[in-house]
Amino acid sequence: MNKYFIMPALALMALGAAAQDFDNDPTLQLEKQDAKFTIGARFMADAATYHSDFTPLQSGASISDARIRTSFTYKNWYLYADFGFGGGKFAQKNIFAQWSNGTHSVKAGYYNDPAGSMARNTSLGSYHFISRAGSSNSLGEGRELGISYKYNTDRFMAYQGVFTENQYNKIDAGFKGLTIDGRYLVRPIIDDNQTLHIGVSGRFAHLGGGEVYNNILKKTYHMSQSLETFVDEDDQFVTADLDWANNVGSIGAEALYHNDKFFIRGEYFYKHVTKKRDTYSLMIDAQNNIDGWGSLEAWDNANKLRSNNFHGGYVETGFQILGSGYKYNKCDGLLGGLNGKALEIVARYNYTGLNDLTDGEYFNAGRGHYYAAGYMEDWPGTGATSVGGGNLHSATIGLNYSFNKYVQVMVDYTYHRLCSDYHPNDKNFHVGQARLQFTF
Amino acid sequence: MFKHLIRMGAAGLTLVALATSCSEEQQFTSEKRDAKRVDVQVLNAELAKVRDYVPLYAVIAHRGSTFWAPEETEASWRWAREMGADYLESDVQCTKDGIVLANHDENLKRTTNIENVFSEAVPTSRVDFYMSLGFSRDDAEKQYGRDVAAFRPFYTLSYYYAELLMLDSGSWFNETSLEQARPSFAANSGYFDKTTGKIVYSDGLYISAIQDQIAYAEGKRLVRDANGRRVLSYKVKDEYKGMTLDQIYNAIKAKGQYKPKYMDFIEYDFANAYEADPQDTGNRPGIYVEFKESWLNPDNMEQRVYDALTECGWNIIEKPATETAFYKGGKVNVGNTNGKVILQTFSFDALRRANDIFKGRVPMCYLLWISEPAYATDIAIDDPTGYAAFIKWAQDNGAHIIGPAISGAPNNYPEMNAPWQAYMIRKSGMINHPYSFDSWAQMCKYMGYYNYDLETEFDDLLRLNIPATAYTASGYPSSVPVYMDGFFTNRTEMSLKYMIENGFRGNAKLPNPFHAGQYYDNSQANVTVPDAIQTLERLGY
Repeated sequence: MNKYFIMPALALMALGAAAQDFDNDPTLQLEKQDAKFTIGARFMADAATYHSDFTPLQSGASISDARIRTSFTYKNWYLYADFGFGGGKFAQKNIFAQWSNGTHSVKAGYYNDPAGSMARNTSLGSYHFISRAGSSNSLGEGRELGISYKYNTDRFMAYQGVFTENQYNKIDAGFKGLTIDGRYLVRPIIDDNQTLHIGVSGRFAHLGGGEVYNNILKKTYHMSQSLETFVDEDDQFVTADLDWANNVGSIGAEALYHNDKFFIRGEYFYKHVTKKRDTYSLMIDAQNNIDGWGSLEAWDNANKLRSNNFHGGYVETGFQILGSGYKYNKCDGLLGGLNGKALEIVARYNYTGLNDLTDGEYFNAGRGHYYAAGYMEDWPGTGATSVGGGNLHSATIGLNYSFNKYVQVMVDYTYHRLCSDYHPNDKNFHVGQARLQFTF
Repeated sequence: MFKHLIRMGAAGLTLVALATSCSEEQQFTSEKRDAKRVDVQVLNAELAKVRDYVPLYAVIAHRGSTFWAPEETEASWRWAREMGADYLESDVQCTKDGIVLANHDENLKRTTNIENVFSEAVPTSRVDFYMSLGFSRDDAEKQYGRDVAAFRPFYTLSYYYAELLMLDSGSWFNETSLEQARPSFAANSGYFDKTTGKIVYSDGLYISAIQDQIAYAEGKRLVRDANGRRVLSYKVKDEYKGMTLDQIYNAIKAKGQYKPKYMDFIEYDFANAYEADPQDTGNRPGIYVEFKESWLNPDNMEQRVYDALTECGWNIIEKPATETAFYKGGKVNVGNTNGKVILQTFSFDALRRANDIFKGRVPMCYLLWISEPAYATDIAIDDPTGYAAFIKWAQDNGAHIIGPAISGAPNNYPEMNAPWQAYMIRKSGMINHPYSFDSWAQMCKYMGYYNYDLETEFDDLLRLNIPATAYTASGYPSSVPVYMDGFFTNRTEMSLKYMIENGFRGNAKLPNPFHAGQYYDNSQANVTVPDAIQTLERLGY
């Protein structure tokens, strides 16, 4: 009887494992009684060539990811850890323990935030593009330390958890923050050949950590993305640092449909960042010379603070020319990668909006500042509230070929159109890149 | 199929490799390359017309001179005029009574003996001063209370001009420039004479008003009494006659144009303050006036300068010049042309406000500075993109000239006039007036001597083929990339010598960089440079 329970559970766990960071079950598996240990590896090498209007990007090749992954399964328990050393740097990736009976599961450790985005929850090894959509990198979230509960049936998935900002307690000051979030899917269609899922996600994060300047805690929220490439991961074109950030609210919507030969999926992200600061203390600290501020109101007018809003999204589609067809991973609500010999063409449109500009403000590239008056002023401050993180439209086409379930090559071309006050001479970027990846 | 894919993959990798190797221009950021790629806004025709009011290769006597005499005083400006500088440079500040000073520092401690004359409080003679103007003690004491509330020790804005004329503006120079020190630069300080109820001025070099500077440019000097003290009477302005200080304060406050801490109710008799300088040899330089920190001066500072220029007949908007020759018979004549006044500033506010008033009709220089962290008016991103943004800002606010800092001892300023930066200024059609030159080496560097006959990547716009003149030291024409169109100098004598010996001055056929195919003729300029020390001695110092 026990055997009949354990074997399905192991199969379920294996599926769960596959969805975390790769699709292929590791080849080296040690089983003893009702326990199983696996060890595997993943490797990705990219070559890329870039052409930009102005700011150069470094064409070339790089090892984008090299990873060792291990898992241990025992009855309803699944323990997983993987470690990256791509780029010559050791990095902790996922480490978690999960208990599941198929419908209910509880997971704790360091892993992807459920509401971080569908794209961020999909392993790069299973992705159909060389890089995830830029908006999921800039507006989505990645791994966090926490605990989550998932209810999952054919028709519904409710996946929610509580997390902290990061895995190490290495912030300069403050505490690690608190995040509550969830991802909720409904699947009107789900069978062996096709799936349609529609979902929403929500996330609330209270930022806890920051740096202390003059006895004042300054918390900064960072958002950025590269040009959907790993060889040169320069994120200067689309980036925003929001000083005095306090709470971050995110909502998202997603949809995915696939059948054997075709898939289409997309996500929309909206982010609202509130801010808070010790205005009075900052003003007092600024009273350090004869040209002092005189009043709190004067300081406040020259250093205005407001909340910010950003949004973005993407649509991806693919057609499998040959292969065993697209598969849906119900356990995680994600599309699987290529499995076995396959050839597909893919296309993506992405929009990332990190500009949150205030009407009438003037930007000067020599100052790198916005000015509320509509022109540059000497003193006492700019009074501006614009965030010019950059708006980016990206269109990608790609071709992927997997020789077998272990080895895959990918080729992508992406055109980016940038609108950024900080980079007035950079409008057009062309990115051609190729990848060789294998897992075992 | 498999082989086909392998071939496709190999072809793709080859393409990637080729594209990578061919895109050398994309490999790294080069300011030199970017300076040519970045679009620079070009001066429009209206501003270009005003730009041409300014003589090329102008020698701008920085504060008169900081090397030979106390800066921005009668001594330094008379000396610069007699040496043959094209412009007498100054900085403007505002006194409590609204007089536009031609003085660099807003805090007077460095260049005067104010700490010896006044304490860190409102001058104790202030009430007596008010009473000497006819106000009652009660009224004066009430105003004194307001003065205390608005007081900044040693800052220009806290003192009446008459009070500042008690100060000695020369002794500090003797203490800091031992080799150039001269007993005549020192003075006896002034004081308030309670017996006569009058301020007694010092008897040496004074903090200058802009009227003083203009007078020196016109070949005049201060009128002095038998004791060597300047003669400058003052009285309550007619519009405030019969009013109490309290009423005057409220009347000024009601104008709302500027903060009432400026009590500009006193009128000075500048009309009778100057006389023909017996040592004048006929040079008529222009003046080059800098608006300083906007927050330390009244909001209408630019209007005050406009009015002061008008009062002196030096406002070309109100009274256009009739002469066009920058040099006549070996003498400087800039002061008689529409190029007689150049304005300058680092300040965003001053540039914008000056444009509101002067409307780009008087040559304006926008000065560049950089520091870490960036000061409120600094260029913060000193790359070609940032540089172009500042050039555009300058033009949009009525500037015709860019004034970048240059490196080199003794000031060791940050370099803001590298060849790529000079190239961008030239591309914009603006004049380049770097600051400040102190050495022969700097002149060699920025006037192309180090690249003599060598090709440079900016030759398309910056190379100048200079025909030899009778005064060219080498006797031969030269071909050099030139990174300036005139400059601020503390060593007028050295700068003139360099320009004359290298064909930049006294030349009838200098190629005009702003008008292709045309010559710039400054053959009428002075071609012999007086001795700096002898000139000081001739002027009585």
